[in-house]
Amino acid sequence: MTGTFRFLAGYARRNLVQYVLGFAALLATNYAVVRIPALLGDALNLLEGRSALLEGRGAAVLAQARGIAVELMFLAVVVIAVRTLSRVLFFNPGREIEYRLGIDLFERLLGLQRPYFNRHKVGELISVASNDTTSVRLLVGFVGLQVINVAVAIPMHLWQMATTDVALTVWCLVPVAFGAAYMRWTVKRFFTMVRDGMQQLARLSDRVLESYSGVGTIRSHAAEAATLRRFDERNGEYLALQLRISAIRSFGMPVLGFSGLVGAGAVLWAGGNRVIAGELGVGDLATFTALLVSLVSTLTSLAWVVGRGMVATSRVAELLHTPDELPPVQRPLSIDGPPRLEIRGLSFTYEGTTRPAVDGIDASVAPGKTLGIFGKTGSGKTTLVNLLTRVYTPPPGTVFVDGVDVVEASLADLRAGMAVVPQAPFLFSTRLRDNITLADANPRARGKAKPKAEREAPEPDPRLDAVLAAACLQDDIAQLPQGLDTVVGERGVMLSGGQRQRAALARALYRHRPLLVLDDVLAAVDHNTEAKLVAAIRALRSGEGGSAPTTIIVSHRTSVLEHADEILVLDHGRLVERGTHAALLRQRGLYAETHAHQEGQGMDDA
Amino acid sequence: MSDASSSSLRKPGVAPASTWSLLRRFWSFARPHRRWIWFGVAMIPLVAGLSTLRPLLLKAAIDTEIPEGDAIGLRVLGIVFLVAVVAEFLCSAVQVYALQRGGHATISDTRRTVFAHVLRLPARFYDNNAIGSLLSRTTSDIEALSETLAFGVFTILTDVVMIGSIVVAMFVLDAQLTLITITVAPVLYVLVRYFGAALRRLQLEVRKAQAAQTGFLAEQLTGVTVVQLFGREQAALKEYARLGERNLDATKRANLLDALLFSLMDGISAFTIALMIYFAAPSVTSGGAITLGLLFAFVDYLQRVFGPIKEFSGKLATIQRASASLERIYGLLDEPAEGGGATADALAHWRGAIRVRDLRFRYKSDGPDVLRGISFDVAPGEVIAVVGRTGSGKSSLGRVLTRFYDGYRGSVALVTPDGDVELSDMAPAELRRRVLMVQQDVFLFDDDVAYNVSLGDPELAGDRHRLERALEVVQADHVIALRGGLGFAVGERGANLSSGEAQLIAFARVAAREPTLLILDEATASVDSVTEQKVQRAIETLLAGRSVIVIAHRLSTIRRADRILVLRQGEIVEMGTHDDLMAKGGAYAEMVAAGLDEGEIADADASPDSDVGADVGAAGVAP
Repeated sequence: MTGTFRFLAGYARRNLVQYVLGFAALLATNYAVVRIPALLGDALNLLEGRSALLEGRGAAVLAQARGIAVELMFLAVVVIAVRTLSRVLFFNPGREIEYRLGIDLFERLLGLQRPYFNRHKVGELISVASNDTTSVRLLVGFVGLQVINVAVAIPMHLWQMATTDVALTVWCLVPVAFGAAYMRWTVKRFFTMVRDGMQQLARLSDRVLESYSGVGTIRSHAAEAATLRRFDERNGEYLALQLRISAIRSFGMPVLGFSGLVGAGAVLWAGGNRVIAGELGVGDLATFTALLVSLVSTLTSLAWVVGRGMVATSRVAELLHTPDELPPVQRPLSIDGPPRLEIRGLSFTYEGTTRPAVDGIDASVAPGKTLGIFGKTGSGKTTLVNLLTRVYTPPPGTVFVDGVDVVEASLADLRAGMAVVPQAPFLFSTRLRDNITLADANPRARGKAKPKAEREAPEPDPRLDAVLAAACLQDDIAQLPQGLDTVVGERGVMLSGGQRQRAALARALYRHRPLLVLDDVLAAVDHNTEAKLVAAIRALRSGEGGSAPTTIIVSHRTSVLEHADEILVLDHGRLVERGTHAALLRQRGLYAETHAHQEGQGMDDA
Repeated sequence: MSDASSSSLRKPGVAPASTWSLLRRFWSFARPHRRWIWFGVAMIPLVAGLSTLRPLLLKAAIDTEIPEGDAIGLRVLGIVFLVAVVAEFLCSAVQVYALQRGGHATISDTRRTVFAHVLRLPARFYDNNAIGSLLSRTTSDIEALSETLAFGVFTILTDVVMIGSIVVAMFVLDAQLTLITITVAPVLYVLVRYFGAALRRLQLEVRKAQAAQTGFLAEQLTGVTVVQLFGREQAALKEYARLGERNLDATKRANLLDALLFSLMDGISAFTIALMIYFAAPSVTSGGAITLGLLFAFVDYLQRVFGPIKEFSGKLATIQRASASLERIYGLLDEPAEGGGATADALAHWRGAIRVRDLRFRYKSDGPDVLRGISFDVAPGEVIAVVGRTGSGKSSLGRVLTRFYDGYRGSVALVTPDGDVELSDMAPAELRRRVLMVQQDVFLFDDDVAYNVSLGDPELAGDRHRLERALEVVQADHVIALRGGLGFAVGERGANLSSGEAQLIAFARVAAREPTLLILDEATASVDSVTEQKVQRAIETLLAGRSVIVIAHRLSTIRRADRILVLRQGEIVEMGTHDDLMAKGGAYAEMVAAGLDEGEIADADASPDSDVGADVGAAGVAP
C-alpha cells in the first residue's frame, strides 16, 4: 500500500502545481456541496415556523427564505465553476501520468530480453501496458480526487451532519458503514472476475483466430461442426462468467445505495421522533437526507476506483521494475571492420530444461571469413546463432568479438556492428520500403504520417535497388499493388513465406554491417532462387563495394553452405563434424549423407 | 485492417440502415431469450413506481404525522418506508439481472452465428479480407454490443420510465410548481444535445487514438527481437510517444467537456431546487396549496431526475457505437456462404473417376484465366502427378476440384456407375468427404494429437483404435509414441512438433478418412533427412489404392505416378509417363534438368493471399 503510493507519488511530483490548485478548487467545491443541504434545511426550517410567525412577521420570513434561495442559486453557479476546475485539475495530471507510465513501460519492455518474452505472452504485456495504465490513471486522477474526498469531503459531510444532530448522524451512518464495507469487498471480487473475463475473451479470440487461420484445413476435412463445438466450449465458458458478473452487478453493487436509503428511513423515523420531541427542526431532516445522498455517491465512486486501481498499480510497478537480466557493461566495443569471432567451450541450457541445447562448441572465424552451421531441426543451430547475437546471454568467457567477451560489452555496441536475419522473418505493418530500410529511419513515422497523396516520389536509392536485386525481390515487388510502397505485415498485404524471408534478407543486406548473421534464411525459397541468393551473398563476401563482412550462415541445406570457409555440423547440440564442404564430404558422416540425399532429391539422378 | 477489407464488407450504394431497423433485426437473435428480457422489462414500471412512492411517504410524515405528534403513525410510516426500500432493491436487482442475462445470452448466440457463418464463407472472401478484421467482427464488435445491451438500451428504458413517473407524480402533487421546475428543461436539452454530441465525437477520437497506440505496441512487442537486433528501440519509443501524445491531447479535451457536463448537471440540480423554494415560499408561508411536505418530496424528486439525464448522452453513444458494430456484423452475415448443391449421397458408388473437359478458371471476374482449357481424365485408382512452374495453375486446379473456388467454366464430371455428377452440383461439404485436399502448409490446432488427426469427426474422435491405425499407416506411430502418444499437446500452430512430424499428422488425417480422391499438394520445404524418408514412404502409402492428383515436387513422387500432366500458363503442354516425357525431351525433361523443386511462393497469378489456411503472422518468439 505505502509502496504503491510512493510509486505513484514519484510520477505525480511533476504536476504538483496543478494538484495544489486542484486541491483549492476541491475545498471550495466541497464547502459548497455541504453548504447547499444546510441552506436547504435552513430555508425549510424557516418556512416550517410559519404558523408562529404568521401574525405579522410573515413578510420578513418570506424575504429571509427567499434570500436563502438566492444564496442557494449563487452557490449552485459556484459549484459549476469550482467542480469543473477541480475535475480538470485533478484528472489531467492523471492522463499525463498514464502517458508517461505508458512510455516508461514500453521503454522497459524494449530493454527486456528473449527469456522474459518467453515467459510472458505479448497479449498479457499489452494488457498491462494499456488496461492497467488506464486503471492507474483512474487511480491517480479519480482516486487523487477521491483520496482528497476522503480527507476533505467525508469529514466535511460528517461535520455538517454532526453539527445538525449527533444522534441522528449515528443512526443513519450505521447502515451506510455496513454498505461501504460490503461494497469494498464486492468491488474487489468484481474486478477479479472482470479480469478473468478479459482472459477468457482472449482465449476465445485465440480460438477464433486459430479457426479462421486454419479454415482451409477445416474445410478440406469437413470439420466445421467440430470446430463449432470447440468454439462453443470457450463461448459457453465466457457466457457463464458474464452471468456471474451480472449477478454481482445487479445484486451486489447496489447494496451501498440501498444502505443509504435505509439510512434515509432511519432519518425519517428517528429524526421524525426527535422533531416531534422538539429537539430538531423539520428542515434538518432534508439536510440529513441530502447529505446522505451525497455521501453515498462519494463512497460509491471511491470503492469503484480504489479496488481497480490498487491491483493495476502493483502490476504496472512490477513490470516497470523487472530487471533486464543483462550482465553489467564492462568495456566498450566498436566493430568498425569485419571482426574476428571466437567461440570457446560454449554450452547453454534453456531455462526449465535439463539437456543443454548446445554443448561445448569451439570455433574461430577470421575477419571476412564465412562460418557455416549445419544441422537438422532441433540440433542447436538457432540456439548457437541466438547466443552469438546475444538474443540469449551466453555464459561469460565463451563468445568473443575482436577479443572482447560479448557479455562485457553493451548490447547496443555489439548490435551496432551486426546485421541479422532471424529464422522467423518479421515484417512490420508499414510499407515494404520502410521494412527494408528499417535501419535508416523510423518506418512507422514515415509510413503513416504522410497521407498517400502528399507522399513525394521517393528519392532514388541505389543501395536499395542493389539490395532488392541481390535478394531477388524485384519480380515480387512488381506484382505488389503499390510496389515498394505497398503496406505489408499483419495489417497489409500478406507475403508468402519465401517473400518474407527474402525481404528480411534484403533488410539485413541494406543494413550493411561488418558482421552478417543469416539464420536459415533460405528455407522457404526454391532451388533456382536459392542459387541466386547464395551467389549474391558470395558476391558480397568477395568484397564488392568495400570489405567483406564476417558471415555466419545457418542452414539445413548443404547447397547453401558449400562456399563457407568452415562448416560446423551440429547434432543434439554437439559438434559432430567440422571442416570445409569438400572435407566434410570426404568424411562420409552426417553431412555427406545428407548432402547425397538432398542432391538426389533434386536433379542429379534424373 | 486494410482499407480494402472494410470497404468490401460494406455494399456500395446502399445507404446506412437506421439504428431502429438494425436493432429490429437484432431481435431475431434475442427471441430465444425473450422470457428473460420481457420479465426484466415488465419489472421496470414496478421499480419506477416504488421509487416514486418513497418521497410520498416522506411528504405524509412531514405534513401529517410529525406536526400532529403521532409517534405510532410515524413508526408505521417508517416501517412502510423500509419495506418499500427493500422491495425496490430486490425488484431492481432482479430486473437488472434478468435483462443482463437475456442480453448476454443473446450476445453469445450472435457471436456463435457470426463464427459459424465466417467458417462457411468462400475462399475468395478470405482473399479479400484480412483475418484480423474478421476476428474483430467476431470479438470486439460483439463486445461493443454487449456493452450496449448491458448498459445502454435497457437502462435508458428504465431511466425514461423513472423520469416519466417522477414527472407525473410531480404534476399530480402540484402542477404549478412542476411547471416552474420544468423551465430548466430547455437548458438541459441544449446542454445534453450539444455538449453530449461534442463529447461523443471526442470520445470516438480518443478510442481511435488508443487503438492506434495499442496496435503499434502489439506489433513492436511481437517483433521485439527485430527491433532490438536492429537497434530500433529509440525510434520505436519516439513513435509510441507520438501516438501517445495524440491520445493524451484528445483525452484532455474530452476531459474538460466531461467535467463541465458533470458539474453543470450538479449545479443545475441545486439551482432548480433553489428556484422552487423561491417561488414556493409565498404559498407555504401564506398557508397555500404548497405544504412543507410537498417541498420535501419535490427536493427528493429533483435530486433523482438529474442523475440519469447526465448519463443519457453517454448511453445514447453506446447505442450508436453498437449500431455501427451491428452494421459491420450484418455486412458480414449478409455475405453469401459457399455454394450449395446436392446433399443426397450421389457419390455413394463413386470410385474416384473424373472427366475434366475444357476447364477454364479465373480468380477475379476481371482477372486473367489461370486455367485455360484443361482436359484430362482420371481413372479409378490412377495416380496423376501435376508439375509446372510457379504460376502454371497447378495449385488452382486443386482448389477448383475441391470447390474452394467456384465459378469454373467447362465441365468437371465425377463419373459414377449411376451416371455423371457435375462438380458444381455437389454440396461442398458432401464433396469434401470424398475429395480430400492436403495443402503444403500443414495447419495444426492447439490441441492434442488425437484431435489433430480426427479434427473432431464424430466417427473418428471416439475411436482410438482407428486413430492409432491411421498413424501406423503413415509410419508416424513411433514418432508420436515417443512424444507421448495421442494425448500429446502439439502446442499453438503445432509448435511442439517438427515440420516433418506435422506433415506426418496431415497424412494421418488422410489415412483415417480414406478419401476416394486425394489431392495432395506436396510440401517443398525439406525437413531433416530421417523424417524426410518417413514422409516419402508415407506419401507412397497414401498413393496406393485410390485416385490421386498430386501437385508434385519430388522426383520420387512423380516417378510413382501413372501419368504426368505438365502445366504451363494454365494449359496442359505435355502428358504421359516419366519415361515417355523424358524421351520426348520437351518441357518436362527441361524442368527435370533444371531441378524440380519449386518454392512455396504462392501462385504469382493468383490473388495475393489465396492460400486459404496459410499460416498468418508466423513470427513467433519461441526459442
